[in-house]
Amino acid sequence: MLHSEPPLGEGNLSRFPMNLLICINTVVASLFLIASPVMRADTPPKKISLSDFPAAAVEEVVVPVPSEIFAVLDKLGNPNWKGQLREGKVRTPEDRARTALLLGNVIAEGFVAVEAEDAERVKELGRQVLTLAEAINVRKSVIARSKSITDKADQRDWRGVRAEFDGALQDVRGAMQELNDQDLSQLVSLGGWLRGTEVLTSIVDGGFSKDGIELLHQPELVNYFDRCIGSMGSRLRKNPLVANIRDVLRKIGPIVSEGGDKITPEQVKSIHELTHGVNQQIIEGNAGN
Amino acid sequence: MNFLPSLHLSTRSRKLTGRFAIVALVLAVCLPGMVLATVDDALSFAYEAALPYYKQGFSIRKDAWGGDLGVREKKAVSSQLFKGNNYWFLMATDVKGATLSVHIYDDSGNLVDAESWQKGRFAGARVSPKATGTFFAIVQILKSPEDRTPWALVYGYK
Repeated sequence: MLHSEPPLGEGNLSRFPMNLLICINTVVASLFLIASPVMRADTPPKKISLSDFPAAAVEEVVVPVPSEIFAVLDKLGNPNWKGQLREGKVRTPEDRARTALLLGNVIAEGFVAVEAEDAERVKELGRQVLTLAEAINVRKSVIARSKSITDKADQRDWRGVRAEFDGALQDVRGAMQELNDQDLSQLVSLGGWLRGTEVLTSIVDGGFSKDGIELLHQPELVNYFDRCIGSMGSRLRKNPLVANIRDVLRKIGPIVSEGGDKITPEQVKSIHELTHGVNQQIIEGNAGN
Repeated sequence: MNFLPSLHLSTRSRKLTGRFAIVALVLAVCLPGMVLATVDDALSFAYEAALPYYKQGFSIRKDAWGGDLGVREKKAVSSQLFKGNNYWFLMATDVKGATLSVHIYDDSGNLVDAESWQKGRFAGARVSPKATGTFFAIVQILKSPEDRTPWALVYGYK
């Protein structure tokens, strides 16, 4: 997805004969890069004033893919991932907003199952991704991913499975944007973030690592999700579950705005309870809608 | 280049090649001499710039930023980065003769590039965040034969 003005999706690339373009660019880029082994850096200022960049000159934050966070967690130790796994099979909601949130939630759960190296659970989650994607008309975008998840789980290729879940998340979002379902696309990301944050806070609360707390310092991301909900159509914005999530984001925002080393264990617990609460609503659909 | 097919470019490009041809034809007729430089082309170059880092084990994000800028005009691109990861930001344009730059700053405006390079239409900067938080990639067109130069930025992490 290309974040820009005007908003551009991955699909924009496809207006071009891509195979040809890639071949040409590969040759040109390779020649260009190889021909000149000494690459000179320009001399950037050591310090800038960010106030010199008005809102119009600042591109929105891109939501990190779960792998970015799990890549850090890999380096921090080996917590009890099996203990973080959620059990049971989710039921497909009728509410499209909840379905989108649940899809993101299930993809994030896939990462937990990968960390727990639970092949059967990974495969089950891969199938759930397909079912939920079908409910919001983007099944086609994840058929191949779902199959790869199963194949790679059988091979215990955990890095590969992770890449497939990342890809599924991005493919689903891309497909939704092509359908002009930008809002639902954001809800998929938000659903993933909520489940990821619930798990992360559980691990940190369990004494995993102080460095883990650092990962919660995501002020701009929380604000971004809040702004996304604020810019959604009124029907979606007033959806009880979406409204609840916005309340939660506004409670979490001030906490994660603190430097990572200033977030207290009590605050970690609080974020965990807040995210756990809305994730239960996403699964069970008891937010009043 | 393994990560490019995963972008699902080729499938959709086949579907839409006809539309592209019509658009290109119309532009060629209406705007003779116009260089069909677009952000999409720039993005393709940015992915090419990312290729060596992909080979080094960096996962290249499918998400990207792009737009067009005038010479010396800058743009800030905000990003949530995590301590413990290494990141490469790669910027490119398809405009021949253009030069550009990308550098990474923290939320206090301090330059945090661990290393950076700039070579004509390609530029890159690596950051290894000392703390998790919001960072800004400052992109700039240093020189260009065009009034507005399309650019694209991608990043990879490991």
